[in-house]
Order: sequence, then C-alpha cells, then structure tokens
Amino acid sequence: MLQFIIRRTVGAVVTLFLIGAVTFFLFVAAPSDYASLACGKDCSPQRLEDIRQALGLNLPITQQFWDFMSGIFVGRDFPTGHCTAPCLGQSFYSGEMVWSTIMDRFPTTLTLTAGGAVVFLVVGVGAGMIAAYRRGSVVDKVATSASMVLSSFQIYLLGPIVLWIFVYSTGWMENPGYVPITQDPWGWFVGMLLPTLVMATIFTAQYTRMARSSMIEQLAEEHVRTARAKGMSRKYVFFRYAWRGALIPIVTVLGIDLSSMLGGAVVTELTFSLQGIGRLAVDGAIHKDLPMTMGVMLFGAFFILIFNILTDIAYAWIDPRVRLS
Amino acid sequence: MKSFSSRRAQAIVVAFAAGSLVLTGCSENKGSDTGANSKKDQQEASVQSKAVTYADAAGSTGPAEDIAGAESGGTITVYQEAGLSHLDPGQIYVSDAGQVANLLFRRLTQFQEDDKGNVSVVGDLATDSGKSSDGGKTWTFTLKDDVKDAKGNVITSADVRHSVERLYAKFIFDGPTYLQNWLSGAKYRDALPKGGFDGKHLPKSVLDTPDDKTVIFHFDTPRQDLPQTLAMAGYAIVPAKDDTKEKYDTAPVATGPYKIKSYKNGKSLVLVKNTNWDPKTDSVRHQYVDGFNFQFGVTESTQTKRLIADQGGDKNAIQFTGGVEATQIQDVIKNPSVNKRTVKGYQPYVMQLTFNLDRVKNLKVRQAVTYALNSKSLIAGEGGVYGGDVAPNYFAPTLPGYEAGYDPYGRLKTPQGNIAKAKELLKDVPAAEKKVVFAYGNTENGQKRKVAIEDALSKVGFDVVSKEVDAASYYEQIGKLKNPYDMYVTGWGQDWPSPSTVITPIYDGDQVSDGASNYSHVNDPKVQELIKKALNQKPEEAAATWKEAQHYLLEKVVPAAPLWYTKQFQLSGSNVGGTRYSSVSSLLDINHLFLKKS
Repeated sequence: MLQFIIRRTVGAVVTLFLIGAVTFFLFVAAPSDYASLACGKDCSPQRLEDIRQALGLNLPITQQFWDFMSGIFVGRDFPTGHCTAPCLGQSFYSGEMVWSTIMDRFPTTLTLTAGGAVVFLVVGVGAGMIAAYRRGSVVDKVATSASMVLSSFQIYLLGPIVLWIFVYSTGWMENPGYVPITQDPWGWFVGMLLPTLVMATIFTAQYTRMARSSMIEQLAEEHVRTARAKGMSRKYVFFRYAWRGALIPIVTVLGIDLSSMLGGAVVTELTFSLQGIGRLAVDGAIHKDLPMTMGVMLFGAFFILIFNILTDIAYAWIDPRVRLS
Repeated sequence: MKSFSSRRAQAIVVAFAAGSLVLTGCSENKGSDTGANSKKDQQEASVQSKAVTYADAAGSTGPAEDIAGAESGGTITVYQEAGLSHLDPGQIYVSDAGQVANLLFRRLTQFQEDDKGNVSVVGDLATDSGKSSDGGKTWTFTLKDDVKDAKGNVITSADVRHSVERLYAKFIFDGPTYLQNWLSGAKYRDALPKGGFDGKHLPKSVLDTPDDKTVIFHFDTPRQDLPQTLAMAGYAIVPAKDDTKEKYDTAPVATGPYKIKSYKNGKSLVLVKNTNWDPKTDSVRHQYVDGFNFQFGVTESTQTKRLIADQGGDKNAIQFTGGVEATQIQDVIKNPSVNKRTVKGYQPYVMQLTFNLDRVKNLKVRQAVTYALNSKSLIAGEGGVYGGDVAPNYFAPTLPGYEAGYDPYGRLKTPQGNIAKAKELLKDVPAAEKKVVFAYGNTENGQKRKVAIEDALSKVGFDVVSKEVDAASYYEQIGKLKNPYDMYVTGWGQDWPSPSTVITPIYDGDQVSDGASNYSHVNDPKVQELIKKALNQKPEEAAATWKEAQHYLLEKVVPAAPLWYTKQFQLSGSNVGGTRYSSVSSLLDINHLFLKKS
C-alpha cells in the first residue's frame, strides 16, 4: 500500500508539472496577451512595453515558466511583496497573490461540494438502493421516474426557477451568498442552502439511477444467488454482499465528480453569483490572466489526481479481490 | 484617450467620463417615460449642452448643499459584475474605479453638478478651480486649510507634487497621461524616471511648490482645460508619506468621505466613513450613509432581477457601472413602480464605423457607406432606445458644441439607411472598390454588428468580406497602421466636456502611428490647422473652431460614419434616496445617495 501511494504521488507531481507546462505554453501561444488587453485603445509601443515590464512579460518565456514553477516550492518576490510557497504567482488583473485568492474562494466551493455530496450520497444512493431492493414496486417507479425527470434538468434552468420562487417572488430567502461558518453558522447554512440543494438535485437524480442499476446488477451475480441458496436472508445478502459490489461504480463516479466540483462548480457559482474556484477560472480565462488560470488549473488538477489515488485505494477496501499493484 | 471598449475590454467597462448632460436627457425616471421620446431628448440636450464653468472660491467652499429629505445611516449594497481595475489613483482611468474614486479620493479640482444639469469645476483640495496667467500657460492653485487624509495628516503642496511626480514612475501605466505630456512632453518618463521616489523632483520651471499651500504648473503652451483635467480621478492625491508604490493599488489611503475597511478584488469591497473627512472643506460630496458594501461577480442580469424584485436587502441596493440588462428592459419600463426607480441618460460615446483611409481612398465609397448604414438595426442589438440613439454626427449629446440637428447624411430622417443615395454615389465606382473588408470583435455584440453592417452594405452593392478579430486584441489589431481591414466599429467619448478630447485624439494627423487612437489615419492639413487653432483658444472661442472642424471632417473627409450614441439605464432599490443621473460620471450619482429608512 505504501509503495502504491509513493508511486502514485510521484506520478501525480510529474502530471501536475506537465499540466502546468502545457497550460503555460498554450496560453503564451494564444493570439492575444494580457498586456495588449490592459493596454487597450491608444496603445503605443512604449505603453505596451511599460505594461510588459511591469508584469514581467518582457522576460524570456522559459524564465517566466521557471519563475512560476519554482515559486510553487520556494516562493517568489514581487514588487508588491514576497509571495510565500506555495506561490502560484500574482494575478495580472487583480494584483493579488493567486494562492491567497484561491484560498479565499475555496471555502465557497468546498461548502458546495461537501454539502452537495452529503445530499446526493444520502438521498441519491439511498433512493437508488431502496428502488433496487423493492424493484417493481411503487417506490421503485417513483424513484425511477423522478430521477429521470430531474436528471434532465440543468442547473442553469433549475437555479433561476428556484431563485424566482424563493428569493425574487416571495422574498422567503435572501440572495444566496457565502458567509464563513466561523463568522455566522446560520448565515453560512442559509446562504449556501439553495445553491447546494439545486446542484445536489441534479446529482441526486444521477446517483439514484446509477445506484439502482448497479445494485440490480449485483443482485443478479452468482455469489449473491449462492448466498441466498445457502439460506441467508435477502436483507443480509443485500447489505453484506451486494452493497459492496454496487459501490465500485459509484465510488468511481464520485471520485470524478468530487474532484471536478472542487476544481470549480462553474455553472452553479455563476447561476447563484457565488465567488468560488469555478468563477476564478472563468475570470482568469476572460482576462487572459495567466497566473490565475495556471493556479486554478493546477489546483483543480491536484484534486483530480488526489481523488484518483483515493478511488484506487477505495477499490481495494471495498472489494478484496482488487489488489493495489 | 477614452475608448468604449477600454482597458478591460472583456468586461466592457466604460471609461470614466465627464459630460454636460441635461435633466431631460439624464434624469431620475418618474415612472412614465417609455423611451419613445429620445429624439426630443437629443434636441433638448442640444439646447442645454453647454460648456462647463469654472467656479471661484465661494463655489468651492463646503459643505455641499443638503439633499432634500436626506437621512443619515445605513449601508448601501452595490452590485457590480467585474472586479475593479485599480485603486491606485494614478492607475485609474475607467469608470468602475473612477466611481469608487469619487467616494475615496479628492483632487485639486472636482466637477460639481446641480439638478438642472449645470456642471462646474470647483476647487476640491484647492480653494478654487485655479488661477491662470500668462495666457493659460501658468496655473496656480492654493490648498484649503486643514484638509486631512484618512490617517489624520494634513495634505500639503508636497503631497500634490508627489502625486504628480509619481505618475512618471513605470509602475504607473494605466492612468491618464494628459498632465504628464503637457508638463514634460511625450517622453515624460525620461524627465523623472524614478517618479520622484529617489528624492529628485521636476524643475520649478515645470512644477513649483513655493510653500505648503501653493502649487504652480508651468506649461509651454496654453492649457485652458487644466481645471477639468485635474478633476479626473487619475489625478487624485496620494499622500507622500503613505505611498507604498505598487502595493498602493490594493490599499490606498483615502482622502474622501469614505475609506476602505476590507477589499478582496473581484469579490468584495467594504467602505466605511472616513472620520477625518471634513464636510466643511468639500462642496461636492456627502456622507449620508454609513458605508457601501460592494459585491462583485453579480451579472447585470442578476442585478436587474434582484432590483426588480426589490426584496429584503435589495431595497438598499444599487447598480454600480452596470445597467439594466437588455432582455429585461421591458420588465422595467412596463412596471411603473420599478420604472420610477431608474435613472437614464446619454453616455459620452459615439459609436462609428471608422474607415481605414490608407485603403478606402475613394470619398464616394465612404459617403455611400455612411448613407447605406442602418443605425436602427444596429441599435436594436444594443437594447433599443434604451441602449442608444441614432447619431447623425461625431459629437455626443454630452459634448459642448453638440448640434442635434446637424445631420448631413439625413440619418435622423432615414435611420434605416438611404439606399437610393448610396447606390447613386456608387454608380461610377469600380467593382474592385466595392469589395470591402470589415473587421469585428468576436463577441455577441460584434456578431450582431457584423450581421447589420453586412446586410446594409450588401443592399447597395458592396461585397463585404467580414473578418473576425479576437475581442481582447481588437484595438491592438485595428490600431496597427498597416492593418488589413477597410473598416471597423470604434467608440469614443470625451474625458472632460470639451471637443479637444474627441477631435484631437482621433482625428489629429500627428497621432497617426501604431497603437494610436487615430484609427482612420486621417491627416488633413485643414483639420490640423483647426485643431492647433482651437487648442490655443479659450473654451468659449474654441467652440466655433471645433464646430468647423467637425463639419469639415464629416462632410469633406468622412473618416468615419457615425452610427449611434450610447445610453445608460440603471436601477436601484426602493429604499435608496437621492438617485439622479450624474452628467459627470455618466452613471448614478454616487455622491448623492442616502437611505430613506436606515
């Protein structure tokens, strides 16, 4: 296990470096740069040069890349002050350090992700399991139909409807927004309730369908039939054997979903005017803000790699037949 | 030096402006105006669009006149889509930061406006709007007594000198450059490379501070507009001892009625009262509310929905530089209780189809295009009558010298284009000259403009080749002297209410160079002569010269076809009082607000 983790961690670092390199050089190769954008109209060559110099864009590309990557491990100095490791650079657009900006926005995304995961795992997987357990019953039909309808919704459709009902039309709730839980727990809960529920609703439907089909598939496996033939109760077999097998595809998808959500729930954040990682990514791309885009890309990639490793470990724990090698 | 799609082009921030709008064209809405009378607005704007006056000491003495019914207390929520470009005054040129600057920073002079649309320049830190001598080459300002910054330090002439000199440093690259150019020429940075941070100063023959209270500017040519120039946010005061250079951009020291409590760019900005601001020294600003709570990242669509709904905390909310989203305009104007919470007015921008005169050399072709264009369909893409009005000439209704009836191409009578006249002009034009290359930015609006322009020109026989250009580098691409395009849409607005900030930057032949704003590359001897003449005249005398220049340009040269005037239309919550359109900022007057029930 330890060897596995070490090997995968080294692989993750190399992958992160490659992602950073590809992002950086693609960005640099793009037809326009931040200096041109900042320079705007009446942009004399001298003025463009001043901006390039102020932002360090006049340095050789390789040096810019090296400065960025080395800053992650040893920090960097900027005219506005020292950026301690892990330094992801300084935003061209806002002038703020990228790492501190990401850390400022991350709690919003983390709340969405964690809150959403609790809802769609408990409700979605639970409903799917019950539907499979009572296959063909009214409960199954209701769960299947509801999940089909809800999974066809999109956040950008459901979000505005929910906002219109609960905020704009009735005034039952204030506008969604993130308040630190340490500052105001109730405000945090209420502020993030609608976005979390809306996002979770879409995922819940998907997890219900996935859990149901996975469980039905497991219930048809030979080892389950054998266990039943040996006289074990249906409930016992369901929770002792079928359940674990059904978890494998769920964990796989969960790992992908959580890592991409932590990398930025873009649509949810934009729909509810939340300032999370997804929003940062969009703003970074729009403003040609290379350090911010690099930072968010690497931050998102970090979670994808971490959840990949965790998913592999979870496989071995769930199914003893799987060996980490 | 003000573009419609400016430094932060993607965010379409609107350059900070000073105008001379009028109550008819810019007002608090009473709930009944449906916008159908825009033509009347233009005509009335023409009558009242007059030159800014320069106030004496009496007009510059605080406090500002009380607003009827104003209450104290409460916090206004401010919705804004994009983060602020800068907070260092020297870097401020566009409207988002410029609006914040109105709350945070003071300058030597400031614009003051009344409910009748009259705009004057008053002394802000100075006792008056400045005293000129030597035919306008020398300007003297005397500082008011005991004006303090947020740290309690008295502002002296050394702070004013420092605020000017620091603009020469290389880390200041985004603000206006008028004053620096006037004082030290185009290569002004060479005159003080370290921006005064090394203890060196501009010579006294350029900028003199003989005592703590006196500041004297010396120019080599008359600068009659200086009081207006110094009222720009980019020339606000940075106290010398508090200057942290690059770091100042995120943590500036306030001199105005509010100061920064917390700031996370792109996310939030909290302003609270600056207790060291003395209303007796300020004839423009108020301090009715306890503070402003800015929330960034709220799209114009969401802002509009929230403010139409007017629920809970949104009763105390305003739009900052954003306007009512185009698709929700009807929801606003059809609901009187919502419509009465709007303000509207002309912005200083004239959108035009600029010709590259190096390529489109045939005057008849340029005139034919001007006749053929369909302003109505172009405006429809901008939100209809609330997004803009047909522009018959190059001067916006906000500009002194604006002539509502000056319409040499009959665009007001035929806003959909005069097809017959265009065809007649093209009768003898060779087919090769009817093939034109049109560049447009790859944005949603750019696409709409492309369709409208292609449609209009093809109707009269042009073969239009449209070329998509990356929106972020649009102005860089069309700004190249040897660009491969025949025509492109540009927008321009005045930096202060004078045609000198319109005609000079975009039609001055001396400014034909890569990256310069003379996108048509026009270099006409008569225009040059008129510009030179007007710049040496006092504003009231110069008005006739600028008028002559515009007429000559539009009728004889045609470097661009005027398309439409842009308009602003903003909404606020029902508990926000004192709302009015500012002819200075072309936005809701941020210094004139209070909460009815705090």
